[in-house]
Amino acid sequence: MDYLITLAIMIGLSVALASSFNLIIGYAGLVSIAHPVFYAIGAYVSALLARDLGLPVPLAMLCGALAAAAASAAVALPSLRVSGDYLLIASIGFQLGVLEAIKNVSVTGGAGGLTNIPAFLVQDGGKGAYAALVIAFAALTVWLNWRIAHGPYGRALSAMRDDETAFAGLGRNAVAMKVAVFAFGSGIAGLAGALYAHYFRFVTPEQFEILQSAALLTMVVVGGVRTTWGPVLGAVLLQALPQAITFVDLPPAILGPLQGLLFTGLVLVFMVLRPQGLIAAGEAWQPAKKYSAKTRGEA
Amino acid sequence: MLTFDILAQVLWTSLATSAPLVLFAVAFALVLKVNRIFNFAQAGVMTVAFYAAHSAVSMAGLPGWVGCPLALAASAGASALLERVGFRPLRRRRATPMFIFIFTLIVSELIAYLAMLVFGTWPTTVFPSLFWPVTLVGNVAISAWDGPAIGAMLVSLALLFTYLRRARTGRFMIAVADNPDLAELYGIEKDRVYLATVVIAGLLVGVGMCLYGARAQVQPTTSIELMLFAVAATIIGGIGNLWGAALTAVALGVVQNASVLFIPAEWQGFLLYVFLFLAIVFLPNGIRLPERKRGLARRVASVDLGDPAPDPAPARREA
Amino acid sequence: MTPVLEIAGLDKRFGGIVVADGIDLTLNPGRVVGLIGPNGAGKTSLFNLISGVFPSDAGTIRLDGQRLDGLAMHRRASLGLARTWQNLRLFPSLSVLDNLMVGPRRYLGDRLLRLALDPAGVRAQEAGTRRRAEEVLERTRLSGVAATPAADLTFGQQKLVGVARALMNDARCLLLDEPMAGVEGQAYEIMQQVVREVAEGGVAVCVVEHNVAFIRDLCDEGVFMFAGKVLARGPVADLIADPRLTELYFGT
Repeated sequence: MDYLITLAIMIGLSVALASSFNLIIGYAGLVSIAHPVFYAIGAYVSALLARDLGLPVPLAMLCGALAAAAASAAVALPSLRVSGDYLLIASIGFQLGVLEAIKNVSVTGGAGGLTNIPAFLVQDGGKGAYAALVIAFAALTVWLNWRIAHGPYGRALSAMRDDETAFAGLGRNAVAMKVAVFAFGSGIAGLAGALYAHYFRFVTPEQFEILQSAALLTMVVVGGVRTTWGPVLGAVLLQALPQAITFVDLPPAILGPLQGLLFTGLVLVFMVLRPQGLIAAGEAWQPAKKYSAKTRGEA
Repeated sequence: MLTFDILAQVLWTSLATSAPLVLFAVAFALVLKVNRIFNFAQAGVMTVAFYAAHSAVSMAGLPGWVGCPLALAASAGASALLERVGFRPLRRRRATPMFIFIFTLIVSELIAYLAMLVFGTWPTTVFPSLFWPVTLVGNVAISAWDGPAIGAMLVSLALLFTYLRRARTGRFMIAVADNPDLAELYGIEKDRVYLATVVIAGLLVGVGMCLYGARAQVQPTTSIELMLFAVAATIIGGIGNLWGAALTAVALGVVQNASVLFIPAEWQGFLLYVFLFLAIVFLPNGIRLPERKRGLARRVASVDLGDPAPDPAPARREA
Repeated sequence: MTPVLEIAGLDKRFGGIVVADGIDLTLNPGRVVGLIGPNGAGKTSLFNLISGVFPSDAGTIRLDGQRLDGLAMHRRASLGLARTWQNLRLFPSLSVLDNLMVGPRRYLGDRLLRLALDPAGVRAQEAGTRRRAEEVLERTRLSGVAATPAADLTFGQQKLVGVARALMNDARCLLLDEPMAGVEGQAYEIMQQVVREVAEGGVAVCVVEHNVAFIRDLCDEGVFMFAGKVLARGPVADLIADPRLTELYFGT
């Protein structure tokens, strides 16, 4: 039972991560792979505030999310002013730099990881309650994603992806929108990190390396970029499938690389054979019903 | 404490160790310039080159002069495969740069995992021993690796330079880098040029990896770190500027190694990311070298002067 | 009459290519000015400089007395400057109606915080924008294709969508880049009528156009450009009749 609850929590967090990442790389069309580092910032900030400064855990979690959002805006703003390509480089540099710093600073526990993170909810409500919290958070993320993508904001994002010059010529501020989406998505990742930290009560920097970036990219790309349910499907599949392999009796030295090989191999197969993912996004922007042109008679 | 000898020693050692780094940076910059791909799969090619050399020399016991050409062949072959099976179909499909980038990233990780499965995660080397005899010149210790490494780097760069200037395909590479559509109009086969570029980058990487693996231990994930150094050098050196990337790689290598004198060794790695980040914020166009003037003028000439004005049909003029 | 748009001493060069050389130009409310000249005279570049696609090297651009030069493109548009594009630049993934809905000067839907804190306000504004868009579609006779993806229309209709989208700005100054190129039949008539109506509403309109008939019928005044300079300004008929300008236009 415990195993299933933990799996549910991992799936919930992955869904939130993949869904918010989809907002960034899919709907906003921003080229970044640094989502895990904002996950890490949320985890570490929340864990440290709660453990060392004694902040109540919910408040610490909120601070973790805000820190992740602020950090992402600080990365995005200077690089987006130059051009889209630089965001990629800046985000990679930021990701590796922050992880390098975490490994070398004593307050974060260094490369060995941060231990004794205060628990939350589990002692009062049990693990089931925590799983419910995480799943509610994941569902909220997916719903927000859908709302943003299919409302006026999504319309503007769609126009921006189509033609940024024409978009700016109409008076829309593309850079501000990109930074806002980036910060929002990263804030969600930060909150997910905080939720992770206070459940497992132990984080290490190596959980947030480029491998994690690849896993998230896989979820979004295999599931279907720029769709509401694609990343959800991708996250569930890619969290559940490797669990199946763990039942096969293999030494860990082989199991880890084998899992990685399956992950990356699967993405490559998809990139070549089905680039649109399991769930394909349509060419045209789909408004939510109340914004649809077809229902304009009722408005 | 900081004597002249120590300074000279640090400078020399870091200069020598930057030799393979220069090759990685130039290879990365070349593919970015001509193919316009942030080719993170270069890390995968580096891994292939290293383990080819490792299995030939360290495992099969072949001499180095056999193992290194084998490594070169392996990295060139892997690069060609990457272009034919990966980049070309993606180009045909008009995949977005983001998509292509993800592809390269995933490929390099796939190769890292393969290497882990086949060779394990332990650090290994090309030659069974990392020991190189040392001679003292003045008070500076010079290892027997240093000279050949710097020599091989310089020869490779000279060959590349000559190839770009003299060879037909090399000149085509520059033409395609400047304006791929125009080059195609002049009858240059883009696909062949892209293939040639990737293979040449693979050869450079192969030389670099043989040098690097002869002196330091390598594990399947090492090449990703090495490649990020190349990325940083390419960006700071100015995207599209090969020699800028090469010089920056030397400068970064020296600064990073010399930093041992001033900051704790474990922060050395961090310094690279600081540079990278500062470069993006303050030098988005790289350091301008005087020789880039020509490139600059070329770029300006291709600036989009508004919408391309289509020739109005004569009939409409008279309307 | 106070001018809407005032340009003084505008310079721009790309390397050795001069696209604007000391341009002075004023546009007045309710007047349609036709910008004519051969290809490469700098007409579209002038539009790009005014709307901020690239920054000018020197000179000033004022809209209702307010400096535009130095401002980002989106800021200029939000001060009341609208333009269309020679190659359309519609949003192919959006329907015609949605293309227009992205166009109003104020668009609350592009602020995430606003969406979270004031959803009712955003909804109300959306409804207002929708009514306005439907009105504009009515005027441009595009109501029938409101739900069609912009990319699926005929070329003439797409040109009309481009103009309609620019109208959503309720701009003080409207720049039309070759609105008639490739437009025939009914769309031609509609275009003429729409531009005239807009000008009658007190907007300063400037048109780049190679279709001389369209310029002559529609424009109150013509401005002749050559090699980044304004060479002459006056009634369109006079400019066309001037043998010196005709020679420059058609080349020798």
